Amino acid sequence: MHPDGLTVYIVEDDASVRDSLGLMLGLAGYRTVFFADAEAFLAAWREEWAGCVITDLKLPGASGVELQAEMQRRGSQLPFIIITAHGDVAAARAAFRADAVDFLEKPFDHGQLRAAIQTALSQEDQRLRRAAETDRLALLTAREREVLEQAVKGLHAKEIARVLGISARTVEVHKTRLMAKLGVRNVAELVRFAIAGDEPETRK
Amino acid sequence: MLRYLRDSLVFAPCYIALDWASYIDPVGPFNITPWNPQHGLAITWLLLGGLQYTPAVLITEVIAEAVVRNLPGGYFIAALTSVTLTGGFVAIAWLLRMLLPDPGLRSTRHLTLFVTVVTAGTAISGLAFVGLLRGGDLLGATSVSEALIRFWIGDAVGILITAPLLLAVVDAERRADLLLLAHRPETLLQIATLVGTVWLTFFGLGGDPSRYFYFLFVPLIWIAARGGMNGAVVATAIVQIGLVIGIHHETAGTGVPVLELHALVVALTLTGLYLGMMVDERERVARSLRESLRLAAAGEMTGAIAHEVNQPLTALSNYGESALMVLEKRNITEPTLRDIIMRMLEESRRAAEVVRRLRDFFRSGTTRLESLPPEELLATVRRIGQQVLGANHRILTVRDEPDLPPLYVDRMQIEVVIRNLIANAREAIEETQDSTRAIDVQLRRYDDKHVCLVFADSGPGVSNDLRNRVFEPFVSGKPTGMGLGLAISRAIAEAHGGSLEARAARHGEFHLILPCTPTA
Repeated sequence: MHPDGLTVYIVEDDASVRDSLGLMLGLAGYRTVFFADAEAFLAAWREEWAGCVITDLKLPGASGVELQAEMQRRGSQLPFIIITAHGDVAAARAAFRADAVDFLEKPFDHGQLRAAIQTALSQEDQRLRRAAETDRLALLTAREREVLEQAVKGLHAKEIARVLGISARTVEVHKTRLMAKLGVRNVAELVRFAIAGDEPETRK
Repeated sequence: MLRYLRDSLVFAPCYIALDWASYIDPVGPFNITPWNPQHGLAITWLLLGGLQYTPAVLITEVIAEAVVRNLPGGYFIAALTSVTLTGGFVAIAWLLRMLLPDPGLRSTRHLTLFVTVVTAGTAISGLAFVGLLRGGDLLGATSVSEALIRFWIGDAVGILITAPLLLAVVDAERRADLLLLAHRPETLLQIATLVGTVWLTFFGLGGDPSRYFYFLFVPLIWIAARGGMNGAVVATAIVQIGLVIGIHHETAGTGVPVLELHALVVALTLTGLYLGMMVDERERVARSLRESLRLAAAGEMTGAIAHEVNQPLTALSNYGESALMVLEKRNITEPTLRDIIMRMLEESRRAAEVVRRLRDFFRSGTTRLESLPPEELLATVRRIGQQVLGANHRILTVRDEPDLPPLYVDRMQIEVVIRNLIANAREAIEETQDSTRAIDVQLRRYDDKHVCLVFADSGPGVSNDLRNRVFEPFVSGKPTGMGLGLAISRAIAEAHGGSLEARAARHGEFHLILPCTPTA
């Protein structure tokens, strides 16, 4: 239902809302961490945190939207869900401009909240997977990367050997090694991996 | 049909009785008398009931000619004059029905339409009536112009006094207001003064009553200014009745200038009606403004409270969802259902408390005063400052004096005022582009029973001509402002027995004076 290692970070100044939200999400099987305001969250934040943030819009000190902006400034891609007791159009617009997953009005519909959390966590899951794949691609040598490029075009070992000017036997060795490094079993998986691995680069 | 008959049977005796009672000082044997209240009755009836009552009015008029005046010109002339008079009523009633959205006479414009139609209509029907008598050579020694003037004034007075009174009595809302007016002790005093003045004018002082007539304007203006249109119609009717009794009393004396007196009554009536109408309109505008101010204040309150109602509601629904999950997954031991339900009860109590405050405010706009320590007030200022100013909240400084007494205020309403003042200060300093932006809030002693919360900001301050007007509703120094914030804030401060003022200074400065807890 929700990938391991992902946490729901709750930033909410009202003790009852914080407690009840934590209880509900905890019972639903999410790992939760609480903060009473944006400053406490920022003080505790570590780069390796993964999951999503549910924050109240109105907080003492910096607001939920300001917290999100600060997190983006720090290079974090943690998805945000913003909740508020005021159905404030301007705030909702600001939240969406800042790429919040959802903007929910209190008292919120639990189905909507769960859906928003699921969206946020699956976004986060994909991001983590892509990051892992990028990390693994970085392990390849220059020659292995050349072989990979040709292999994903659908060329056979002999054809790759001709293109790169090396023996087919060497190509086979490189291919076996790079597939082991990337943790894939066949060419089809290799192709999928290469596409997924490329994506973040092309997006930026 | 039955209704038609019943109405006609009520109308006819009233009409004939009024005709008989007001048949005084006629021109020859004809119905040209100084006032004709029965014509006001006929027009009111046609106005309210509809023009289908025309035949009943015509027949009644003929009967009145026969009963009151014994058909002075013979059947033919009686029929002709009756048709002329009734035609005049119908024309006036028809025009009024066309021009007035309802017969209640609720605005100066309606009153002007009414007066214009009545005076013009009676002039035209007077021309026709007098012309008819002249044609039949029945006027005797009276000149056409004199007969015409007499007819015109008599009819106009009769209608202008009678119709508004009848319309007021018939309208349920105005009848209720009339009854309310009748129960005021002041009304008794007013009526007594008016009746006394009428007596002095017509009997007490002796001689020509028109010489003292202007005295009557004093009680009339008093009554109209205090009682509005309703007071005015009753007062003019009393003057008219006094006048009629006076004339009856003096029938032997030839010196009473009946026509001149009635011309004065026209002036008196118009003054009373217009003054009363203006008083009513002003009162209506003031009431609707008060109402919208209270609504706006309630809206502000709702905004401030919505957040607080939503918090316990949110917690409640979260706990409810949690309880359901505990019920479904039987292997969960911590927390127990009992534990969750206890928390739910606590939240519902919290919600109920907030709702009760909102209801109190809506019910009466009254305040729920409670003792508030000065340090808590300042904590509130800081909290609101953080909410309003966000990341810039460090520009707000909050100070106080030692040994300040506790305040006696409605916490929620004062929060609305503080929020308004800090939001205003924030906008004022945003205009300035100044690097030394600051908002300073200081709580000081004002006098034995009051403290003063001074909001000073580094903005340009309120200009001299705006300083007092800025508290009026819909006046704003800001291009986007609704202009309600300060009006509401002052209303709240005054409801507390305090005040809110803008000070003359090179910077923005507002003084909010609030009461202290009374010492036992």
